[in-house]
Amino acid sequence: MTEDKPPRKEESAGLMKYSAENLVPFGPIHPALKEPEYFKLVLEGEKIVEVIPRIGYVHRGLEKAAESRPWVQNMYMFERTCGICSFVHSLTYGQAVEGLTIYEIPRRAKFIRTIIAELERIHSHLLWVGLMGHWAGFETLFMWVWRDREVVLDLVEAISGNRIHKSMNAFCGVRRDMPEGMEDRIVERMKFLVDRANYYKGIVDTEETMLERTEDIGRVSAETAEKLCAVGPMARYVGLRRDIRLNDPYAAYDEVPFDIVTSKEGDVHALLKLRLDEMIVAANMVSYAVKHLPEGPIRIKIPPVIPAGEHSSHSEAPRGEIFYYVKSSGGRTPDRVKSRQPTMANLPTALEILKGQTIADVPVVLTAIDPCFGCMDRMSFLDIESNRQWTWSGEELRRYGINYYFPERMKMR
Amino acid sequence: MSEVLLQQIERLAADAKTKSTQLHKGETMIEIEQSQLKNFITRLVNQIKIRHLSTITGLDLGQNIGIIYHFWRDRNTIHLKTFVPKTKPTTVSIVDIIPGAILYEMEIHDMLGVMFVGNPWMDKKLLLPDNWPDDLPPPLLKNVKPADIRKRLGLEVEKK
Repeated sequence: MTEDKPPRKEESAGLMKYSAENLVPFGPIHPALKEPEYFKLVLEGEKIVEVIPRIGYVHRGLEKAAESRPWVQNMYMFERTCGICSFVHSLTYGQAVEGLTIYEIPRRAKFIRTIIAELERIHSHLLWVGLMGHWAGFETLFMWVWRDREVVLDLVEAISGNRIHKSMNAFCGVRRDMPEGMEDRIVERMKFLVDRANYYKGIVDTEETMLERTEDIGRVSAETAEKLCAVGPMARYVGLRRDIRLNDPYAAYDEVPFDIVTSKEGDVHALLKLRLDEMIVAANMVSYAVKHLPEGPIRIKIPPVIPAGEHSSHSEAPRGEIFYYVKSSGGRTPDRVKSRQPTMANLPTALEILKGQTIADVPVVLTAIDPCFGCMDRMSFLDIESNRQWTWSGEELRRYGINYYFPERMKMR
Repeated sequence: MSEVLLQQIERLAADAKTKSTQLHKGETMIEIEQSQLKNFITRLVNQIKIRHLSTITGLDLGQNIGIIYHFWRDRNTIHLKTFVPKTKPTTVSIVDIIPGAILYEMEIHDMLGVMFVGNPWMDKKLLLPDNWPDDLPPPLLKNVKPADIRKRLGLEVEKK
């Protein structure tokens, strides 16, 4: 496959004639998507040599806002940090605050939290696999996977009443109980998702488009990833056994049997398979937790004033470790809340991976680390030497990437 | 917190002429002088093998700004707290020991105005808008009101 492909430089010579270092501003904004980011890419020909990030375009000052709001109101505000992994934010903030009180969380509530968190993981991973297909030029995968994603969203809606912002958490418990008679339906749907995940694993292993675009791309060494404090799948795909569910169990993770998935290959293809494997593990966990759901209360009501003190909590979101630190001075509002999202922790690793890649691989690599794709919808290119400037939309960039790898396909369209 | 690890941490703390206190189960807080910080973190990473920095938190404590480094390994969390005076908010960067700290330091620089000496990207903004006026105080300080910032940036809509 690689032998009969012409060398990359000549292939792209017609598109980009550069002699000196080029600066490519990448991003920043697309109003419809979750987190616009902006990367300044310094190029040498086709190769990226340096990346400078600039985030904060949707910085809403949540930490400042939290200081003037009651404890419980903050829980639902922090849930709105993200539109995909929303539940885990309120869970981690809740755990940090619960640590300052003397109350014990009911066992049934812990199980329900685990079920919702794992359903959210399946949802997030499915969404990601679909996008990966889209950016690699394999639309069929995107359509299939996003159809299967509806299965999870329907279940979440049946349990919590909402598709995205579940608002299930409360301090020391959950707000809604599991509906009666859901067990069989959930187990049956999880079985369906396991079958689908296995099927997709076969596809990404055999389909030429996916292999060509993902194999040997996005490599980083385990030492570098550890030094750069990578979290979640970004740490596990190079072989680090770093998963808060296993290392520091919260909710009911010490009672539900599971094993984390790691990979040794360390490229985007390994990430694809790792996330599909994690989906299977998560689906089995949901089935187990539903079958072994203990009886009892789901919530303890606690007073609105939280005792003074400092506490931190972390948990494993679909993208990696989420960290919350809270400081109370014994009042109705927090003194300080610090929240750190996994994308922030993975960004240094992402910048390291981007170095040495070509522009054609940027969409795939940036989607692989699962930050946000909003930045890709508007790119402007600047050639320092001739001061020539042009703009590519996300779609044009995607076409450029596909054309770079499969020129014959683009001619056919 | 496992006993062995606890003893190791206590020994490290004693070397840095400070004490470790147990906040909660598995959570240790160590208050440390700025001058000892880099030495302590180097030993934490190399000797005790606690390599993962979760994040760095900046706190407005009135006279001082508190900076907390959150480390963890397995079920043990270690908070390393240091203070910088508000009159001269400067401290050392740990980027040469833990390269992953670079964005966390930039964030605190934006939000609380602390200068990390040794961080190569200290001249860049990470979160604040490009048109942020230089004379405006950092937004996360307690005496800064969101309404004042909005007014200053021309975002306040006048009520009729």
